[in-house]
Amino acid sequence: MVTFGTLSQFAALAFSLLTMACLLLGVMRDDGRWVQAGRRCLVSVAACATLASIALGYLFLSNNFQVEYVASYSDRALPLFYKLTAFWAGQKGSLLFWAWVLSLFSALVVYNNRRDPDSRLTPYVYLVLGGTLSFFLFLLCVVSSPFDLLDFVPKDGQGLNPMLQNPGMVFHPPTLFLGYIGFTVPFAYAIAAMTTGTTDASWIKKTRAWNVLSWIFLTVGIILGGQWAYVELGWGGYWAWDPVENASFIPWLASTAFIHTAIIQERRGIMKVWNMALILLTFLLCIFGTYLVRSGVLQSVHDFGATGLGGYFLAFLAIATIGGVYLLAESYRQFKTPNALESYLSRESTFLFNNVILLALAFATLLGTVFPFLSEAITGNKVTVGQPFFNQVNTPLFLVLIAITGVCPLIGWRKASPENLRKNFLRPALFALAAAVVLFASGIRMSYALLSFTLCAFVAGTILQEFVLAVLSRKAVTGEASWTAAPRLLWRMRRRYGGHLVHLGLVLVVVGITGSSAFKLEAQGTLSKGESLAIGEYELKYENFRKYEKLNRTIYAATLGVFTDGARIGSLDAERRYYVNARQPTTEVSLRSTLKEDLYVTMPGISRNGDITLKVAVNPLLVWIWIGGGLMVLGGILAIIPKRRRETP
Amino acid sequence: MKKNSRKMLIGVLLVAAGVAFLLYRGIATTSTYYLTVAELTGEVTGPPISDQDYVRVGGEVVEGSIDYDQKALILRFAIRDQEGSDGTLKVRYDGPRPDAFAPDIEVLAEGTYARAEGVFRAQNLLVKCPSKYESKQEQ
Repeated sequence: MVTFGTLSQFAALAFSLLTMACLLLGVMRDDGRWVQAGRRCLVSVAACATLASIALGYLFLSNNFQVEYVASYSDRALPLFYKLTAFWAGQKGSLLFWAWVLSLFSALVVYNNRRDPDSRLTPYVYLVLGGTLSFFLFLLCVVSSPFDLLDFVPKDGQGLNPMLQNPGMVFHPPTLFLGYIGFTVPFAYAIAAMTTGTTDASWIKKTRAWNVLSWIFLTVGIILGGQWAYVELGWGGYWAWDPVENASFIPWLASTAFIHTAIIQERRGIMKVWNMALILLTFLLCIFGTYLVRSGVLQSVHDFGATGLGGYFLAFLAIATIGGVYLLAESYRQFKTPNALESYLSRESTFLFNNVILLALAFATLLGTVFPFLSEAITGNKVTVGQPFFNQVNTPLFLVLIAITGVCPLIGWRKASPENLRKNFLRPALFALAAAVVLFASGIRMSYALLSFTLCAFVAGTILQEFVLAVLSRKAVTGEASWTAAPRLLWRMRRRYGGHLVHLGLVLVVVGITGSSAFKLEAQGTLSKGESLAIGEYELKYENFRKYEKLNRTIYAATLGVFTDGARIGSLDAERRYYVNARQPTTEVSLRSTLKEDLYVTMPGISRNGDITLKVAVNPLLVWIWIGGGLMVLGGILAIIPKRRRETP
Repeated sequence: MKKNSRKMLIGVLLVAAGVAFLLYRGIATTSTYYLTVAELTGEVTGPPISDQDYVRVGGEVVEGSIDYDQKALILRFAIRDQEGSDGTLKVRYDGPRPDAFAPDIEVLAEGTYARAEGVFRAQNLLVKCPSKYESKQEQ
């Protein structure tokens, strides 16, 4: 199986190199036969990479510990499910996963273009895909193969890190990867459009689903990562501005910017160069993110340690950057559009400002992430900026972004009249004002929190107003009842309302972030049996202690009674786990989650006499982050469900 | 047309200036030195650090120096730059002992250094765990 896997990997590399050779010949000689050959090679890459992945999966399932990668990330006691997911737990396997998914995506692009094989764009698209695939397969075959063998056969593997044995961790990396990898396709189309001088928006229309889908995957990946950190790492938070978290957030910001201005190009045929630049940036940031994780240059909970891959990634980044910028400069004249904007009071201009803010957020986050290197390179002293930097800089920017999200749908395309503005703004503004007054009256005095909630109310108000007015006018035309008109409208105009749903989700996320960061309560203490710890309106009573074995771990659990106003409202089990094969205990998080707030308990210590040490936090509104995140994803999906041909309006 | 694009440009420039200000202020108020033990204790010359400066210091936990009071949640220990270096730094952290905290493990402490007492008061303690993601091969 090892030989089979290695051979498949090499075959995939050979086919991807062949793809490039055939397509280069094809476009140079303008010969469709070569292009067709290249297309077939590209599909073969997918077949070979699939075989290699099956081989690795089989090695995990069959406990073949002579394979170094399997021995490092699995053991006999590991549950079957996690054995399969250990595939991408380490750097080598996740590299194979990358290449495999990209090859499948490439095959999908070939399949999507089966009806117009002679399109001018596609040979170049395949060429870029083949080139990117060759890079990853080269790394796999030559530098870091998951099929490398040890010179002895260990009796058992070293097991999967307990922290990775969690459902969130199972889906967090692959979804993030799918997002990263997905942006290769629009990137390939952009390069193709620039090379062939295709100045219309066809590349944007063709790749819209890829863009939004990749964006959805990035969003899911980021949210799952936050949730995993929250329920598994036990420090009480969901986001720490860790370099690797930032590495996923920065491309997310760039792609969000791109999705917005792509709409303008589709509708108005302007901002062509800008869009090219944005998709280049997004792709480069995705590769940069992959590089950050693998190079070991940053100290982070995520990094895979120094792996010797950094140099290759930097070389690839350099080539892609220079090539992309060169093409952009070359085709600048062709793509330049005169009279960009007709009025600064137009939806286009709010989109532009949204872009400026998103890119500013991306830049600030990037700057904070690489600041230690910059300072060391310039001054010789290593200076870091921590979480306070990101919070201090990004919070105001984010609030501006939220405000723009509210203003944008109120302003018409091209040019808005002042009267029209007044009419549209009145109700949401009043709604926001009312919210602010209520919050102030209920005792909230923190200016940031107050501002944030007010802006959120404003955005929610604009979205609601738009939808209600649209439902009313539909009812007037069709005579339907509200409860049939509303869902039908949502479905017929799903692209628009999908977008609104994403914004509504974002508002909920911001509400959750504001609540849980501005009004968080924390307490800690050591308790003997029968003693209590108070936090906010809760009281936690240490009632019972037990020890038991389960699968590959020993669990020490303390039962805590949860009381409010002297009444027992439930109980929580605080746990410490000792996994077979792990050198240290793992603190588990126990959580009592309501729409109002989360009660968050960890037990960082147990002493010999049975005393327990507890860390407790109350995180208000936190659950809305997950609800809002889910809504964002749903909205994104709604927005890309294609229109059927014979759908009536 | 021209006038509009000029207005837009001014708007964008204003935003850019605002962002630049935020970044400048952010860096000025939140940047912290990342020092070695020797740099902090003054064994080798590092940047000038006062008792109020919030800094980060990294090092290895000295075996036998750990004193943990579980009831009061006070963790005292010493760190050094690497095995064999003479200079050590006493650290006090008020909080529960982290899971992976053990002798010879690399830690990152954030806080202030009271030079007169010779104790680093850590407000934040991060443990760098070598076995966390990439496990070491052993026979």
